Amino acid sequence: MEVIQQLIGRLHTVVVHLPIGFIIAGLLLQWYDRKNNEWSKIIGLIFQWGFIFATVACVSGYLLYKSEGYSFDTVKFHLWLGIVTALFSLLMYLRLVAPFKIDFRERLPLVLLSFSLLFLISFTGHLGGNITHGSDYLIEPLPSSIKTVLGIGPEVYEMPTLDEDHWEEAVLYTDLVQPILNNRCVSCHNAKKEKGELQLEEENGILKGGEDGEVIEPNDPENSALYARMILPLEHEDHMPPKDKTQPSIEEIEIIKTWIANKNSFDKSLGELGLKKELFYSFFPKKKDDTYPDVTVAEVSADTIAAIKKNGFHVEKISEESNFIKVSCINKPSFADGDFDLLSSVKNQIVYLDLGETQITDAIFEKITSLPNLTVLKMDNTGITGKNIIALEKLGYLKNLNLMGTKFEEPYIADLKGFKKLQKVYLLNTPITKPDQINRPKEGEVFFDYGGYELPKIATDSIIY
Amino acid sequence: MNSLDRLIKEKLQREIQAKTRRHFIKDCVTGMGGLALGSFFMSCNSFLGNNEKAKIKLTERDINPLASMAPPLPPKVKSVIYLHMAGAPSQLEMFDYKPTLHKLNNQPCPQSLLEGKKFAFIRGVPKLLGPQAEFKQHGESGNWVSNFLPHFSKVVDEVAFLKAVNTDQFNHGPAQLLMHTGSPRLGRPSIGSWVTYGLGSENQNLPGFVVLTSGGKTPDAGKSVWGSGFLPSVYQGVQCRSKGDPVLYIDDPKGITRNLKKSTIDAINNINKKEFNQYSDPEILARINQYEMAYRMQTAVPEVMNINNEPEHIKEMYGVEPGKESFANNCLLARKLIEDGVRYVQLFDWGWDSHGTAHDTALNLGFRNKCTQIDRPISALLLDLKQRGLLEETLVVWGGEFGRTPMQENREGQENAFKGRDHHGDAFTMWMAGGGIKKGASWGLTDEIGFSALEGQVSVHDVHATMMHLMGFDHEQFTFDFQGRPFRLTDVEGHVIHEILA
Repeated sequence: MEVIQQLIGRLHTVVVHLPIGFIIAGLLLQWYDRKNNEWSKIIGLIFQWGFIFATVACVSGYLLYKSEGYSFDTVKFHLWLGIVTALFSLLMYLRLVAPFKIDFRERLPLVLLSFSLLFLISFTGHLGGNITHGSDYLIEPLPSSIKTVLGIGPEVYEMPTLDEDHWEEAVLYTDLVQPILNNRCVSCHNAKKEKGELQLEEENGILKGGEDGEVIEPNDPENSALYARMILPLEHEDHMPPKDKTQPSIEEIEIIKTWIANKNSFDKSLGELGLKKELFYSFFPKKKDDTYPDVTVAEVSADTIAAIKKNGFHVEKISEESNFIKVSCINKPSFADGDFDLLSSVKNQIVYLDLGETQITDAIFEKITSLPNLTVLKMDNTGITGKNIIALEKLGYLKNLNLMGTKFEEPYIADLKGFKKLQKVYLLNTPITKPDQINRPKEGEVFFDYGGYELPKIATDSIIY
Repeated sequence: MNSLDRLIKEKLQREIQAKTRRHFIKDCVTGMGGLALGSFFMSCNSFLGNNEKAKIKLTERDINPLASMAPPLPPKVKSVIYLHMAGAPSQLEMFDYKPTLHKLNNQPCPQSLLEGKKFAFIRGVPKLLGPQAEFKQHGESGNWVSNFLPHFSKVVDEVAFLKAVNTDQFNHGPAQLLMHTGSPRLGRPSIGSWVTYGLGSENQNLPGFVVLTSGGKTPDAGKSVWGSGFLPSVYQGVQCRSKGDPVLYIDDPKGITRNLKKSTIDAINNINKKEFNQYSDPEILARINQYEMAYRMQTAVPEVMNINNEPEHIKEMYGVEPGKESFANNCLLARKLIEDGVRYVQLFDWGWDSHGTAHDTALNLGFRNKCTQIDRPISALLLDLKQRGLLEETLVVWGGEFGRTPMQENREGQENAFKGRDHHGDAFTMWMAGGGIKKGASWGLTDEIGFSALEGQVSVHDVHATMMHLMGFDHEQFTFDFQGRPFRLTDVEGHVIHEILA
């Protein structure tokens, strides 16, 4: 029996459109016929149908409300107005073509009836739509600027985040569990909808449970429906959230599990519960990658990149989400100072430039100063001596300079010390002599790596056991 | 309901009966025809075929499958050197110092440790075996390194240890497959293949994924540990020999000059180009490209694989033995390959399976010799990469396929003649060094005898997730569709190990 009830209930969404259609058709015919008054018989018949189907819709709607776990508060206006609409269709039908004599029928003002019906049918329909699609369904596609004017801000669900330095102070329930429930469950399990008679909006509702009893078995996540249904296979009938809804992440499910396993405490902090930091990594705000400058540059078009590649350069974006690019002459050993102009179209985007093993000379430095965001510069195994390298001081972001295997001369070392952001300079196989004592660089100082590391022979090297 | 079920069943049966051999053959013919037609439409654009000016949209990858691509997320490193000690070295003689195990030497192993555990060879109740090496803390990090690795102890501050890696495999083949493909069964692509597929190769003249082996044998799991699985086979590892020709038959045959070779390839490519103009099949362009790359490789590979031109002090630092197949040679080659833009270099060194059945596999004899063989080359590799500015953009990973038991192996219940340990995957040591790695870190703690993890246990999938993270991938997003579902290296597991990241 319950199945049939449910089935008829679900037909509500189809059936409702019949009375809507009939009533509107009747009203339109009335409008066309307002002068001649010739079609009142047909119009009456149409309102009769309208009444019949409106009644069917009311019954099926009631069954739907009963079987699908809507709270009465949500549906009451829709239900009452639906019944009123049916009654008004009946009145209209009687007013137009009563099969028997009724006294009051002549006295009812037709225009008032028509307008009431028009209002009733539109408003009831709208309320119904709100129930199935949510009250923000209609306005949702509006641009957010208009929404703000209307005073309806967009509802944005954000992953809960924790402060990495003070993560232990966060309260497990308030700072993680409830936000996760809000994001993933509450759209159905709220005071309004209460699917499965379950509310997950706050403590009392969670503890109360739903139609199948409590959803939490303290300290036993596997036997708590709240957790157990989340880890069922997606295809399983009892899986929550339903298949077509966005699913919680593995880490979020793990938080729910941890919470239940720790007596589902509503007030204890992560530190008090003695939880491990590993559980919460995905809730810490993502660290920004600070390898390259924090400036915005325009995206290089694919055509431009293709054109540069055609010239033999290796060009690639730093990552798909970055507009910075890396240029290397690994496949272009013939690169000489004059070829630098081939890169001028991307000068703002280059942050990594590898000119190693090319034909560059000291004249290149002046040209390189046109790359404002350059961070890594490799000029290893080239003929440069360092004359004019002071020009690179203009590059405010230069961090890493590779001069290995060049003819770099001692006096120019001093020039490098003044570079603002420079951190590392590689000097292996240069004419520069390695100092006897290398001090660890202080904060903000350049570290010169002279290379030439050794692993002196030791006695055990040649022992064979 | 029952009658409805019966009805459906009957209908299905009738349908099956109605199918005759004739139907089958008929279906096959149309099916095959359809397939053939599909491939015509898919690969050849016959509408544009005769029009030479017509341009079809080809991505760079259509023409060159190794064309480089940007990683989805900001990467920390651009290349990887993976040093695999095939046979599984004993963490208890190298990095995981257990003084209590020393005290318990020769005591019978508590029954509680043996329950529910599977060992490859240990039977009955084995005896505990104390560390066969002496340990000291080294560097500013104060991490423990044994006296079997005197050179490595000087560079210990460069690396981050994972002291409690866990694998569920206890035999070499499956464990190696798990370590390199994320699955103990055959058929999945290796890490190097994933990386080359995702990032391509920077150097046009060299393969993107190179494999070098030493120790006399290749890994037990066979070449599948550098195979491409279900990825296109162009992404599989190219095994280069460190002795003799790096790639077999790479030299031109006698009597064939380089010019003749070039004109041969040009002729083939011209024919292929005509073919492409007719059918516009991108596969043809890929083939043209492969011919050209092979030609360039003929000179580039022998050049990069030649260590004789390295200066004497570098050769000494690595301890290379030119002309021989050695781990030291391979370490130096790895640096050269990385320097030339190779994406992933995989080194296997065979001979670490120290069961204690013979001199070679005794912890205090053969195993110690193996340690000496890798100690200098690995330390030299780290220093050499560092002085060239390559260590900060390269990830170096060291490890075996599992670890070894704190118990002395008693094969078939008999104590072995030499001191050795059985396979054990519950908690073993690996380390990483290079870009994005927290120098001198140590994550994970094993119990007093080094049998199981107490804290910071990480899985092989976690190691993979971390490697992918450093290369600029979210291991959960980097997938390849195969057999109807997206596959990834870590399949359904893996967490990035943040504790060892800078």
